[in-house]
Amino acid sequence: MVPVTLAKSLVEICGRDGVILDEERLLVYESDALTAYRHRPGAVVLPRSTDQVQGAVRAIAEHGLPIVPRGAGTGLSGGAVALDGAVVIGTARMNRILDIDAPNRRAVLQPGVINAELSVAAGAHGLYYAPDPSSQTACTIGGNVAENSGGPHCLKYGVTSRYVTGLAVVLADGSMVRLGGQGRESPGYDLVGLFVGSEGCFGIATEIEVGLLPVPEGVCTLLGIFDRIDDAGQAVSDIVGAGLLPAALEIIDGPTIRAVEDSVFAAGYPIDAEAALVIEFDGMEAGLEHDAERAAALCALAGAREVRTARDEDERMALWKGRKKAFGAMGRIAPDLLVQDATVPRTTLPSILRGISDIGQRYDLVVANVFHAGDGNLHPNILFDRRDEHELERVERASKEIMQLCVDSGGTITGEHGVGLDKKHHMDLIYGPDELDAMWQVRRVFDPGGVMNPGKVLPEDTGPAEGAGLPEGIGGD
Amino acid sequence: MSTPAHALASAVRKQEQGLLNCVHCGFCLPACPTYRRLGDEADSPRGRLYLMQAVVEGRLDPGAEAFQTHIGRCLGCRACEPVCPSGVEYGHLLELARQVGGNARRPPFLARMLLRVFGTAWLARPAMFAGRAMRATGLPTLLTRILAGRRPPKGARLAVAMLAASAPPPPLPGRTEGRPATVPQRETGDKPTVGVLAGCVQAGLFGRVNQATVRVLQANGYRVVSVPNQGCCGALHAHGGDLETARSLARRNLEAFEAAGVDFVAMNASGCGAAMADYGSLLADDEELAPRARALAGKIRDISQLLAERGPVPGGTVPLKVTYDAPCHLLHAQGVAEPPARVLDSIPGLEVVPLPGAAECCGGAGIYGLTNPRLGGWIGSDKVQSVLGTGAAALITGNPGCMMQIGAGLALTGAGIPVLHLVELLDESYRRGGLYGEVDR
Repeated sequence: MVPVTLAKSLVEICGRDGVILDEERLLVYESDALTAYRHRPGAVVLPRSTDQVQGAVRAIAEHGLPIVPRGAGTGLSGGAVALDGAVVIGTARMNRILDIDAPNRRAVLQPGVINAELSVAAGAHGLYYAPDPSSQTACTIGGNVAENSGGPHCLKYGVTSRYVTGLAVVLADGSMVRLGGQGRESPGYDLVGLFVGSEGCFGIATEIEVGLLPVPEGVCTLLGIFDRIDDAGQAVSDIVGAGLLPAALEIIDGPTIRAVEDSVFAAGYPIDAEAALVIEFDGMEAGLEHDAERAAALCALAGAREVRTARDEDERMALWKGRKKAFGAMGRIAPDLLVQDATVPRTTLPSILRGISDIGQRYDLVVANVFHAGDGNLHPNILFDRRDEHELERVERASKEIMQLCVDSGGTITGEHGVGLDKKHHMDLIYGPDELDAMWQVRRVFDPGGVMNPGKVLPEDTGPAEGAGLPEGIGGD
Repeated sequence: MSTPAHALASAVRKQEQGLLNCVHCGFCLPACPTYRRLGDEADSPRGRLYLMQAVVEGRLDPGAEAFQTHIGRCLGCRACEPVCPSGVEYGHLLELARQVGGNARRPPFLARMLLRVFGTAWLARPAMFAGRAMRATGLPTLLTRILAGRRPPKGARLAVAMLAASAPPPPLPGRTEGRPATVPQRETGDKPTVGVLAGCVQAGLFGRVNQATVRVLQANGYRVVSVPNQGCCGALHAHGGDLETARSLARRNLEAFEAAGVDFVAMNASGCGAAMADYGSLLADDEELAPRARALAGKIRDISQLLAERGPVPGGTVPLKVTYDAPCHLLHAQGVAEPPARVLDSIPGLEVVPLPGAAECCGGAGIYGLTNPRLGGWIGSDKVQSVLGTGAAALITGNPGCMMQIGAGLALTGAGIPVLHLVELLDESYRRGGLYGEVDR
């Protein structure tokens, strides 16, 4: 519950229907798509404009309460969960595409625009927005900016940070700053690059300028079927090693195949296979087929049972649908899942996959893998039922071991889902105290008071000592 | 007889398995018409499931404002089901949640009264007669014309306009005057036997659609038999959480259609079709009736499915530009997407233009216009704007609720675009094509 005076000002700013104060209505904002963490916010504000965001931030800051920005709540690291009665600022109502500047291949959007809907709108001009997280039909661009989201096609096209060229950001004191804008390069330091991936700790982006790409002339999608997941991992390593540049290279393992095939998004993957490898090439028509043939040959060499080519757009879409909805389809196996997001060097994929499978067996847990193999970005999904406390404990231990395994082989703890709440305590696996301290200092530049999304990303016990001369905020009206 | 407390406990137990499938991925959010407009996650399928889960866990009282408001605000369009990777049976859970909510707090008087009327033949008949009599005076049409162009339709104005919208459409271009001659039934053994659900609203206000249904079925080689003692399908009761009444109505229809010995039951109201196709689940707890209910549910076909299976046979030319709005309970609840398009494609001279947002609910949603007039009106006017944007001269759909909701909305804009049931249009094509024999002039 927030103080009455704050409730009153929020209602004045965002209207009666723009503020949620009722304890019971706030229940639904307890968690994002990672349900292991549940914390009820003090209030939820649903502003419609940058002005309203500024007003709300000022009012909340005056009352000394923390602020958590939230898009569609599809995040997988607990980043949009409100700790300590924080006030959630949701961007769902800021969902307008403000401008599509087709000749300059640029769009300006409000943060609540849904990723896939931007591509639909841009499609009228023969353009699209490249980063395609698996949740793209639901997740928002604002959330993508916060998490620096990736997606299957980021293997070739790069992640969100490559496409965001300008931002209007409301800072922790309610001031608004414009970073970058009007194209790719702005002189001076790359503050846009700094902001993208800041996980709601630096401010709230209320206007986002992104670059668009022309829709590729041709697309060719292959499906390799493997009896052993290691072989699929080897094929990935071989395809990239041979100098091919697929737009996407995705592995879906046996348990995931069976969950997907059981769902409404059945893509026709054989249910007795232990791995399916989706390979996609795009670009100019000329040369596509040649690349696809080489990739198919490499799959066969690595031990593929069969390699299929999607014959038409419908088959291609079905194939992708199976991959993109895999996460949700896990609900058919178990009620809860913990999705990991570790990234490892590509060449270590076969041994890591074996290691993960061993850990799963040791803890008697089902681990389903569906991941961006080309980037070495693993998504082991540990399936469980949170009502079983003993199982929950095994899940936590297995999760930590998997992460340690990836780090030991030269990998890192997150590829695209962000650190959030879930991986904050694993940051010291990757960084030493000096590096964490440097990150704290950057964070304090944007948010000297620690108002924005506190308790996320950086472990508290690594922070700089109190009163260690914090730099001035970069804000200003 | 089950007490509310008992009903609550059993509903909760039933919900448990279904709810747990939800992994909170959020893929349903953009599919939900109420979330899209309100932006509050409590008005999304995932949010509503979370509230149901909270009731199951004992963290939320089903009488609480939060539960009542957000469960009550759901259209029940089930657009969330086809996009759910985990296959959560949202529609079933919503009905149970409404039952639990209704036990905790009585639904509004008007809603209870309407359901009572629909579910009780001796009340429904005079009510529908009164409706027809009122409609025949031409007063509703006149009033609608006067009210056109003013504030968004709601309350009494919407009711008047909906009644006016249930009236037969004006003559279509190219139409020759006359009424179709009755077709003698040719009794042959190998024709599939079909019974038609007459329905309550459909029989009361859209008798012409029922008659057209019989004619187009016969023209496509089906033997249509009459099914006495049938009644309301119980869809509105189930959606409102009155599952007991829905079950007793289902039992009556089960017996009626079994006695008629039909191969298929043809549905021309997709809300009723979805409900009857679900009789197996509705009566699952009744050991004796459950297998029979499942068997009947397996015979339920939307009229468009039966027609598409036979081609359908082509009729005469209807030179008209139309657009098609997919009823939610046909597209989302029953997954019937192609057959209506095939029927439309079979009509010579017809130009079909796509309707942007055709898959989204029109806001009719049973008695939603009464329970949530403001939001229903908002969703409805978006649909109307979309229809106007296509430049179509008529809107085609397949459910009486949608016909009245969109028809009322269109009439109130003064645009003069009629709403027709798919079979009305096909029937007209057949009449022109001489499929019914000589036209009596």
